[in-house]
Amino acid sequence: MNRLPDLSPEKSPLTLVEVIYSTTIREVMSTDPITVERNTPMSTVQHLMRDHGVSGLPIAEEGRLFGIVSVQDLIEALQQGKLNVPVSTCMTERVVTLEEDMPLSMAISTFSKYRFGRFPVLNAAQRLTGIISVRDINVTLVNRLLQQVSKFESMLDNEVTPGLELNRVFHTRQHDFENGGKASTTIKKHLVDHHVDRSLVKRIAIASYELEMNQVVHSIGGTISYRITPDAVEILVQDRGPGIENVDLALTEGFTTANEWIKSLGFGAGLGLPNAKRVSDEFFIHSEPNVGTTVKVVIHLDKKQKENAT
Amino acid sequence: MTFANLIPTLDATVFVSSSEMETRPVQHVIASDLMSDVLVAHLDDFVLVTSLASDQMIRTADLVGATGVILVNDKRPPASLIQLAKDLSIPLLGTALTKFAACLAIGKALEDKGDPA
Repeated sequence: MNRLPDLSPEKSPLTLVEVIYSTTIREVMSTDPITVERNTPMSTVQHLMRDHGVSGLPIAEEGRLFGIVSVQDLIEALQQGKLNVPVSTCMTERVVTLEEDMPLSMAISTFSKYRFGRFPVLNAAQRLTGIISVRDINVTLVNRLLQQVSKFESMLDNEVTPGLELNRVFHTRQHDFENGGKASTTIKKHLVDHHVDRSLVKRIAIASYELEMNQVVHSIGGTISYRITPDAVEILVQDRGPGIENVDLALTEGFTTANEWIKSLGFGAGLGLPNAKRVSDEFFIHSEPNVGTTVKVVIHLDKKQKENAT
Repeated sequence: MTFANLIPTLDATVFVSSSEMETRPVQHVIASDLMSDVLVAHLDDFVLVTSLASDQMIRTADLVGATGVILVNDKRPPASLIQLAKDLSIPLLGTALTKFAACLAIGKALEDKGDPA
């Protein structure tokens, strides 16, 4: 089986992370899956798999899931000459399932965690409504990314940014203190050069620097993207992991996981995320252990600012 | 008081000067080696008094808009720090005074000379 694509922001289009968090499993899964009942003989399972070209069948009755049977289970039954036994004796009963409302990212991490080819999908009432395979995910990703590419191409066509407006992406690497902060100083200089109000520049610079240093200190690396319009400065930081176990705790002042070495460099007091949140008008964070952390902050440029800025 | 006024006050060595140090006012002091604390301080027109001689210290000073930096305890700034301070136009002084003594001296000078305006 082909591995899922590497979803690290450095190796993928930046919007990929947004796509996998904003798409639900419901939009990706195959609906109306072929199912069999517990007393269906294995010979029927064999025919269904062959006729429909599927490698796994859920065992369900009136929407209630009892198990799943795979090609491997069928091969074992064939070897043991057990084609007439009911599928309930060959199926896997402890099935890992996903739910319709979960984000696609959850399906991807589940596929990475387990080596199964497909997972049954349940609705809120725990009834089987679909099945999701790696193929389903890949088809969705390709389609969404094609849409994004088209969007980018049309954006490039319209690009006119000699002034304040800016779209720029920087990369950070783990523990790279030498370059940590370069993105923030570059953006600060851009804002000062375009006469953005001093107190606004300070808020933007602080949010940016806290998030940038967080990536250098805590993550295995990632990207920091800036979108500056006459209305607002939007900072999107995305890392490749390890993710935050408890986001609420990380937003508590004084909570830190930094080691003494980091502290000797003047960081790791546990003030970064709360401080970034404090100086921002909008703050969004999503983190998943072993996947990564995404933070988006927005700082509005007020009316007076728009008149001053050039 | 301006940043340049601090040179005699602290018997300071000028590692990096800037054209603005004669004019930009100094009204407050932030004394810390913890950059996380510097980033949460709500002050303008302040000098940073620190014994942390790292590149990140100068970046922090730049991002929070410090008027200048005073390196205490006779700390020698590495060449990379001096270069970065020049690139970012942040004046950088060094003094043999301790952090406490430097703060005391600046505090006294602020009382005597007050606001340049």
